[in-house]
Amino acid sequence: MPELVSVAVNSLLAAGLYATMAYGLAVIYGVMRIINLAHAGLMMLGAYVTFTLFDRFGLDPFVGLALTGPLFFLLGVALHRLVGRRLARSGAGPSMESLLLTFGVWLVLQNLAYYVWSGDTQSILTGYTLKSVAILGVRVGVPSLLVFGASAVSLVFLNVLLRTTYLGKAIRAVTQNRDAALLSGVDADRISATAFGLGTAFAGLAGGMLSTLYAFTPDFGRSFLLKAFCIIVLGGMESVTGVAVGALVLAILENGLAVYTSVPTSFQDAVSFTLLFLALVAFPQGLPGLFSRFARRGALH
Amino acid sequence: MKALPASFGAVAAAAALAAPFVLERGTLNDLWSLALGVILASAWNLLGGFAGQVSLGYSAFLGIGAYTTALLSLRGVHPFLTLPLGALLAALFSIVIGLPAFRLRGPYFTIATIGVGEAVRVSAASVSFTGGSGGLRMPAGSFDFQLNYYSMVVLAILSVVLAAAVRSSAFGHALAAIRQDIDGAEALGVHSTRFKLAAHALSAAVVALAGSLYAINFQYIAPGSVFDFRLSLSIVLMPIVGGVGTVAGPVLGALVFSTLQIKLLAVPALRDAYLLLYGGLLILVMLYEPKGLVGLWRRLVARARSAGSVRGPEVSDAG
Repeated sequence: MPELVSVAVNSLLAAGLYATMAYGLAVIYGVMRIINLAHAGLMMLGAYVTFTLFDRFGLDPFVGLALTGPLFFLLGVALHRLVGRRLARSGAGPSMESLLLTFGVWLVLQNLAYYVWSGDTQSILTGYTLKSVAILGVRVGVPSLLVFGASAVSLVFLNVLLRTTYLGKAIRAVTQNRDAALLSGVDADRISATAFGLGTAFAGLAGGMLSTLYAFTPDFGRSFLLKAFCIIVLGGMESVTGVAVGALVLAILENGLAVYTSVPTSFQDAVSFTLLFLALVAFPQGLPGLFSRFARRGALH
Repeated sequence: MKALPASFGAVAAAAALAAPFVLERGTLNDLWSLALGVILASAWNLLGGFAGQVSLGYSAFLGIGAYTTALLSLRGVHPFLTLPLGALLAALFSIVIGLPAFRLRGPYFTIATIGVGEAVRVSAASVSFTGGSGGLRMPAGSFDFQLNYYSMVVLAILSVVLAAAVRSSAFGHALAAIRQDIDGAEALGVHSTRFKLAAHALSAAVVALAGSLYAINFQYIAPGSVFDFRLSLSIVLMPIVGGVGTVAGPVLGALVFSTLQIKLLAVPALRDAYLLLYGGLLILVMLYEPKGLVGLWRRLVARARSAGSVRGPEVSDAG
């Protein structure tokens, strides 16, 4: 029983961060049908920007997020201008060109980080990094708790933005049916730029949060990109609530494996990559697709 | 048209085989790396170029070849006798991955292969029989550079010949049909999964052979070396920069990359710029010429032809 509570608490905390990571990918995918491999590089950059704000200016990493978010939004709009705009959106699915192009952007970002920050492993050590509190009898690190809070705030902000503003509604409209949205007068270029900015901002925020939990190098981010991708596959690529569910499923599986099985920790990433692989193969439409398949089968009987 | 690159290739192959009588060891080392690049790029191109299935997980096959050779050599088997087994294991592994992964299309397949590559790298570093992250050293006394050079060059020549043979065969046409329109190919009776699996297995086997030769020449392998990010990156980038889906493209790409590598290593300030360079190249190719150097060349030739035909239409008939 205590194990169960521990898995539940830890999974919920991890899911918040995972959802922040995955939303950035999902919003860009939804609007532009691009799988943004540069997401990993942007998370890495977010970690370093948070680190620099902390190291040079003494800014608390979680206060730093308030700067990182808008900064990365602008960076995303600029990136969209430089490369994203030239990617013609192919009708059915994401194109190979866009995948390889964003892969190139990732490599360039990685190299810039080597130049600016060198290849040394960095980490952020604040007064509360090693502190922990008890929740339902489970010891939880203070940074994980703060990360959960920060993710919750950013996700609520995103949700309000998507539901109440014109831009947000337009983003959802383009995601659901691009042609119909364009016919109703939505400016595709502007919406793409906004979505790219939002996606980049969420990558930066996720990176900043990750920097308070893990040590990082310019190579940082690859395993988190795979996790984020696993989540949007589980969540069904375009559905907003799906992403939250996918994040929770991945977090529960990871924590459950760590607690109930003797899989060594060095193998844990391999487990989530295997999961990604199986998820891609088994549910190409994600969990929502699986549910609707079951629902259809139920309706037939 | 076909005769020109073929005769170029024959001259280049003859030059590479004669090189040990003329050139120094340093230059031969560079040629060895070029041959490795030609093999990896041509093999990747069988699946990634001809069939259009872009995989980012090829370092797994290189690792299987290298580790098979190192592990068996340490148990007393002659290193060169381990080559077939490494190739066979890699082909089998490619089928094990391919069976589920080929249910995915386009970029989804690509993402799944990143997962496979990472999982293999993580596993090689954490299980004990591979020597963990410390790696393995080949047994002493098994080094003969002349032999290593010739085996790599011969394998490079064979891979290019193999690529040319596949391209003009019925198998190659089936792969091209899969690349162009998989549903159309299926409708015409092409069993797409079977052909993709065959191309995957063939290219995996060739890459594993190169991996074995890699282990034999470097005498030491570790997850950090055979699964090196730079290596697995260049496997993909060489054919893309040169021109995917062509026979000459991967060779051109390997030539560009090994030249860049040599030039970069010579300039200390640029030694750490390889990611910038590779990423920049990838961005430029994707934005301006997704068919790579071969595509650029064809465009220039077409432009020269049409310019010629404006001046005198009878010239274009001759071409």
